[in-house]
Amino acid sequence: MTDHSLVIDKEHEEAADDRTMFGFWVYLMTDLLMFAVLFAVYAVLRNNTAGGPSGRDLFSPELALAGTLILLVSSFTVGVAMIAARNGLKNQALTWFGITFLLGLAFLGVEAYEFYEFIHEGHTWRTSAFLSAFFVLVGTHGVHIITGLIWLGTTLVYIVKRGLNKPIVRKLALLSLFWHFLDIVWIFIFTVVYLMAFV
Amino acid sequence: MSTHNHHTKQHSENHGTVMNYVVGLLLSLTFTIIPYLLVVNKSLRGDVLLMTILGFAVLQMFIQIFYFLHLGRGPKPLYNIVFFFGTAGLIVVVVGASLFIMNNLYRNMAPDEVIRKVSQKEGISQVGGKPTGACTGNKDNYLITIIGGVARPIYVNARRCDTITFLNKDKTKREITFGTKYDQTSYGGEDKVILDDDRPETITLNQEGYFSFYDVLDPSLSGQFYVE
Repeated sequence: MTDHSLVIDKEHEEAADDRTMFGFWVYLMTDLLMFAVLFAVYAVLRNNTAGGPSGRDLFSPELALAGTLILLVSSFTVGVAMIAARNGLKNQALTWFGITFLLGLAFLGVEAYEFYEFIHEGHTWRTSAFLSAFFVLVGTHGVHIITGLIWLGTTLVYIVKRGLNKPIVRKLALLSLFWHFLDIVWIFIFTVVYLMAFV
Repeated sequence: MSTHNHHTKQHSENHGTVMNYVVGLLLSLTFTIIPYLLVVNKSLRGDVLLMTILGFAVLQMFIQIFYFLHLGRGPKPLYNIVFFFGTAGLIVVVVGASLFIMNNLYRNMAPDEVIRKVSQKEGISQVGGKPTGACTGNKDNYLITIIGGVARPIYVNARRCDTITFLNKDKTKREITFGTKYDQTSYGGEDKVILDDDRPETITLNQEGYFSFYDVLDPSLSGQFYVE
């Protein structure tokens, strides 16, 4: 009898998990639509440099590749961290999530360095429609990364203080989904913004 | 006990194993580095290169969705897939239609210079009964070779619808633009002719008059041409 109710409880819980996941998935898809609009704007305006520098003049392919590789590896480490968290391995999970956090910071550093260089040389979002679209698209992705890092940072503090419990694992699952999503969006920024500037 | 085992097994299949992530990471790295090398080494050109790198991006998206997001694994998340493909459809419409509409706008409502450039590229001699000034058949070709920072010949005397080909023999990148350093203009809708390797670039002389050109990156490199 107890066994039976346990199974039912578990099924209830999994159904709740599924609903949460689906809700978050719907949010991600709407977020993706917002990125699609920004991509459309960028694609339309990418050649409107108004006599200013073009992507070919500004972008450094090496720097863009470095950022991409960092984010890719972080998408891997967040997956491994999630497996550890699901298996209740607190220290392993903390280590892998910690690595993810540092990689996220490194990625943000690369992006901030690039923005700083452009602005320092006088190429701001006011220079041309191309640069406005560039800063908005890449900047929006950067704001998502900052949000993810704050979310990850606070969750890590929570785990250290209270340990890995069911609700926190569920939150971590959403966080890892969010992180993978940002990686996929970045692949398209890498291709459409950085690589296509050199075609 | 056996049901419990069965349960955890199914669970880990839905969420992926470390091996899944390793395979996903390796494939993603490969599909990042290949297009990067294609672009940097200029192994392919133009539209072929464009389609190839976009293809790699889409391929990588599917790899990450399968190996990192585990979409389509296990029996449950069917509605997630439905929602995903619905969104993908909307994205194609938003991005594709924006490009289509804005491109049409650009062609049909653009200033004369742009119309001249687009119609020259596609050999359209008139739009709405008005001549575009595009040359449909080319005549003589003049070659201007850049060696040691000097353009030879430094002056070309040509007729309308002749062509000029620029060839850069130096190792440095050149950005040929028209007018002078103090009064930069465009010629026939063409702002710049970029010469960053041995590839020659040709312009059609569809605008009459006396013109000069120079290198933005090294303004001491300059020359003139006259179109009758």
